[in-house]
Amino acid sequence: MNIECGALVAMTDITKAFSGVEVLSGVQFELKAGEVHVLAGENGAGKSTLVKILAGVHTEYGGRIVINGEAMHFKSVQDAAKAGISVIYQELSLVGPMSVVDNIFLGREKTHSFGWADCRSQTADVNKSLVELGLNIDVNRAVEKYPLSIQQMIEISKSLAFDCRIIVMDEPTSALSEPEVEKLFQIVEQLKRRGCGIIYISHKMDEIYRIADRITVLRDGRYVGTALAAKLSQDELIKWMVGRELNTQFPRHVSHVGKQRIEVSNFSLPDPSGKPFMAVSKVSFSVHAGEILGIGGLQGSGSSELLNGIFGTYGKRTFGEVKIDGDVFVPGSPGEAIDKGIALLTNDRKETGLVLEMDIVQNATLASLRKFSPACWLRPREEAAAVAKRATSLRVKASSLNQLVCTLSGGNQQKVVMAKWIETNPKVLMLDEPTRGVDVGAKQEIYELMNEWTSQGIAIILITSEMSELLAMSDRIIVMHRGKITAEFARETATQEKILNAAMGEKDRDYVKIN
Amino acid sequence: MSRLTEQPRITSPIKLSEQQSFLQSLIYSPTTRALAALIIVFLIGLIFNADRAFLKWNTHRDMLRAVSVYGILACGMTIVIITAGIDLAVGSILSLAAVAFSIFSIHWGWSPWLSVAVCLAVGAVSGLASGVLVATFAIQPFIATLALMVMARGAAKWISGGQKISTAVQQADGSYVYAGVPDIFNFINSKVFGGNISVVTIIFLICLVFCWILLSKLRYGRYLFAIGGNEEASRLSGVPVAGIKMLAYGMSGLLSAVAGICQAAQELQGDPEAGVSYELSAIAMVVIGGTSLKGGRGGIWLTLIGALTIGYLEKILSINAVGEDKRLMLTGAIIVAAVLLQRTRR
Amino acid sequence: MKEFSKMLARGLLCVVVALAGCSDKKETKDPNGQAKKTKWTIGMSQCNLGEPWRVQMNADVKKWAEAHPELTVIYKDAQNDTLKQSAQMEEFISSGADLIIISPKEAVPLTPVVAQAYQKGIPVIVLDRRVSGDQYTCFIGADNKKIGKAAGKWIVNILGGKGKIVELKGLMTSTPGQDRHSGFMEGIKGSQLEIVFDADMKWLEPQARKEMESALSRFSEIDLVYAHNDPGAHGAYLAAQAASREKNIKFVGIDGLPQEGQIYVKQGILTASFEYPTGGREAIETAMKIFKGEQVPKGITLSSRVFTKDNVDKGGELLADE
Repeated sequence: MNIECGALVAMTDITKAFSGVEVLSGVQFELKAGEVHVLAGENGAGKSTLVKILAGVHTEYGGRIVINGEAMHFKSVQDAAKAGISVIYQELSLVGPMSVVDNIFLGREKTHSFGWADCRSQTADVNKSLVELGLNIDVNRAVEKYPLSIQQMIEISKSLAFDCRIIVMDEPTSALSEPEVEKLFQIVEQLKRRGCGIIYISHKMDEIYRIADRITVLRDGRYVGTALAAKLSQDELIKWMVGRELNTQFPRHVSHVGKQRIEVSNFSLPDPSGKPFMAVSKVSFSVHAGEILGIGGLQGSGSSELLNGIFGTYGKRTFGEVKIDGDVFVPGSPGEAIDKGIALLTNDRKETGLVLEMDIVQNATLASLRKFSPACWLRPREEAAAVAKRATSLRVKASSLNQLVCTLSGGNQQKVVMAKWIETNPKVLMLDEPTRGVDVGAKQEIYELMNEWTSQGIAIILITSEMSELLAMSDRIIVMHRGKITAEFARETATQEKILNAAMGEKDRDYVKIN
Repeated sequence: MSRLTEQPRITSPIKLSEQQSFLQSLIYSPTTRALAALIIVFLIGLIFNADRAFLKWNTHRDMLRAVSVYGILACGMTIVIITAGIDLAVGSILSLAAVAFSIFSIHWGWSPWLSVAVCLAVGAVSGLASGVLVATFAIQPFIATLALMVMARGAAKWISGGQKISTAVQQADGSYVYAGVPDIFNFINSKVFGGNISVVTIIFLICLVFCWILLSKLRYGRYLFAIGGNEEASRLSGVPVAGIKMLAYGMSGLLSAVAGICQAAQELQGDPEAGVSYELSAIAMVVIGGTSLKGGRGGIWLTLIGALTIGYLEKILSINAVGEDKRLMLTGAIIVAAVLLQRTRR
Repeated sequence: MKEFSKMLARGLLCVVVALAGCSDKKETKDPNGQAKKTKWTIGMSQCNLGEPWRVQMNADVKKWAEAHPELTVIYKDAQNDTLKQSAQMEEFISSGADLIIISPKEAVPLTPVVAQAYQKGIPVIVLDRRVSGDQYTCFIGADNKKIGKAAGKWIVNILGGKGKIVELKGLMTSTPGQDRHSGFMEGIKGSQLEIVFDADMKWLEPQARKEMESALSRFSEIDLVYAHNDPGAHGAYLAAQAASREKNIKFVGIDGLPQEGQIYVKQGILTASFEYPTGGREAIETAMKIFKGEQVPKGITLSSRVFTKDNVDKGGELLADE
């Protein structure tokens, strides 16, 4: 591979091993000034490791790194920062209670003589970079008071404040709404014009093709190839990432739609954090056995709150009526919902879906432990047998069932959570962002599983922020905006534009007429 | 510029843990590390054996006797700490139970079964009070059990009139009459198996087994670990979090009452000032054993190892007549060393 | 608005404090005034009632005050809090007590309030623990060094001048512990008594038992245990009993409370217990003298008794003054 002169970053033959296990082998990567270079690959392909080597987090590795024509070997993160490299991780590195100014200058404070903090000049600098990003906020307020999207922008302006030319963004849009994603892309354009080079890691196909100039693919720690985004088709990209042909990305097929499993009428929920508005307002819908109902909406639409409200996460604070298989059910606690046959896969498996310190078996039986422990006495062998069966049918990849779930990849972790819920024999399975942070291969498997479950008569409610997934997997779609349903579509009549319109508040004329 | 390399796909993601050899996992297991600290302390005892006193069985039997009351408290503390909580009230509940037991058995002449049963109930109710504060009112365990610590101590002083309840019973005219020592006291205070093991040590062992069954064999144990590991995920999986937490604190109170009964029997009196600072020793035993204060990890046998470590440490310092100032420094240093040994390498 | 309410609160606080200070009643005692009075109120300020010995002190005060129907005693318990005790003293002053008895928690912090009472003309008797300076009427207390020395001499006597001793000490960071130890060492000077094992049991019985177990496992020959308090001696006894060696060892303690040390002596658990007198009786007797207008000494050192099996029913034997 010829490394062009004038490249900002040139990494050659990078190798890295942890305790004798090779995670990167012979990887090449090059970044030019003024380009967005997407780094793609499944989970476990080695993208984060490569980026961490560049950022100075891993200091021992094989191969060469050349920055701006100069060979470098970083001994620390500060070293890399001095060379102009800045990384924006998925988990933001801001200190919540500290102000915006203090956060941006953390570790590099400007001082007068004798160490007095130079507040005025710091504030001026910060205001300048934020204005460039189109942000007009009070820089002396604590960062934790701002929403996640603003925090992400503050993180980005950290890099700008220090004139970094090499910026790495790791899944930056995972917590952003559509308009905020637009904003981000505008900033990326600005950065390109300034001559910065951006390494962009993402799982979202739409994004990759919107923003990339070039795409490099890693697979299982090896370098697969680099191509201009315009010249690499989606199918080929997937083939590079996965190593095999994937026929259709979304294999949804409906077998048989049965009777109504869940009927929700005039469901309302006040905002759980106490703010004076309704998170969910007079929502009515129903789902039949074997059906998948997709819920679309932007951040703050209230879809998660709706499902959680039905599940009893917020206790008895809900209004309206829920019927399961014709019986009235009053949401009170998750335990009661589970007994009634409702299951909820939450959108944050690490925080609310798994006990990371426990192994696969213990996690997979947590919601149905009573049936595995008659007279309160545990039966580990029965548990293991049941979980083994589930793990095989869900195709969970692990060396043993006694592995702690914190060591599993995102996709496998998600499958363990699914195993947990299927073990409760649910009538209604609610999935909140089931493929978030899951690699392409595992996503496929999850879609196929959803088909299996619906063919068994389970009713599925699906929340997803990935438009293509929503359109392909749902039999019917409802769209929410600020707690209300603004539109309802059947699979055939739904389009991306109509859904986005409804999500942004435009009430669908047909829906409004009927309701 | 593009290049396509055909490589066979590895079917499982590379996981580092499976690459650790069996030996490595043995070395890093919490039990091994706890035992390492205990073995080191034991070796110190063999070296500084105080005119061969450490080599006599009596020394070990006495150490076990002395550590048993603390160990029983540590059992309850283990349960609570696994849920990511803490119980500061154990010492005060101990004194409340000790006083109550003495009043019931010595002054009121109740049968031992009744005395023990009521005292255990008193302990359980006190613990449940903490549990309600923590589970229903969402008060931090530190603060809730601090409140119980003060209230239980106050209750102990109140029902005892601030005096030790002993076999010397005050008459109306101010003089004292000597009542007999109840049989149950003598029994608990005695030794079995040919005078080689104290009864309180056996009681400690029974408490350990009881907690082992609760933590490893019963559904509640699994729930306790789940709540400590991730309370919200447990709640959203249908685990009855509030009830299980109350159970945990209730158990701790119950075991504190057992400890109080043993303490009263050994002192032949119920002392409302007993148990002061015992909670710190109990916590130290749990922590040195390797149960994490963050909750979700640990076990009762680890606590046993921690109890023995601290017990032997105290005994070795005692038989060598080490001065009080040096004792405090050494004990502190060894606790820090033991905790550092516990550091997980992830 | 916040600023204004803060100011208002501060203002109110000043007014309240000022009013409280104004409750100074003018003392209308003439020089021989006491002779006219027929009833007296005594304020008894106790630093804590957690120690049984202090409960005994209050009980002694009560018992001896009951013999004088013209006395009313009001008891306040500071629960071992210096600030509380100071406040309670001020309460006694402003409520017009005729005399105050105080057993202070600590000397320095309570000296000012004691001086305040004294200067206002209220006689103050200080019991057991001292205050600094001389702004009080009378200090009554026992001498731990004397008691320790007497115990030492008594032990030398009973062992015939030689033997192996275990000393179980009270908290050696406190004066009673240090005095009982130094006095004891003086008392056994010149004899052939050997202290084979000593430990700080911090006044606690379970601790004493643990230390005694260590001593027993290390030494096959122990003649006597000298413990700085009776609970300690009792704990040592229990340890010896568990090792079936209690018949070969003598146990000596200090405190001599009727419901503890004296009972142990009666039961034969302790060979002797040295009284650490509470001074409650002496306090009342001194108070009566003051009310009658008599002169009282600045300091009264209490004499101590030793209780042994033969004399415990007779009320013990007074120790000779040195």
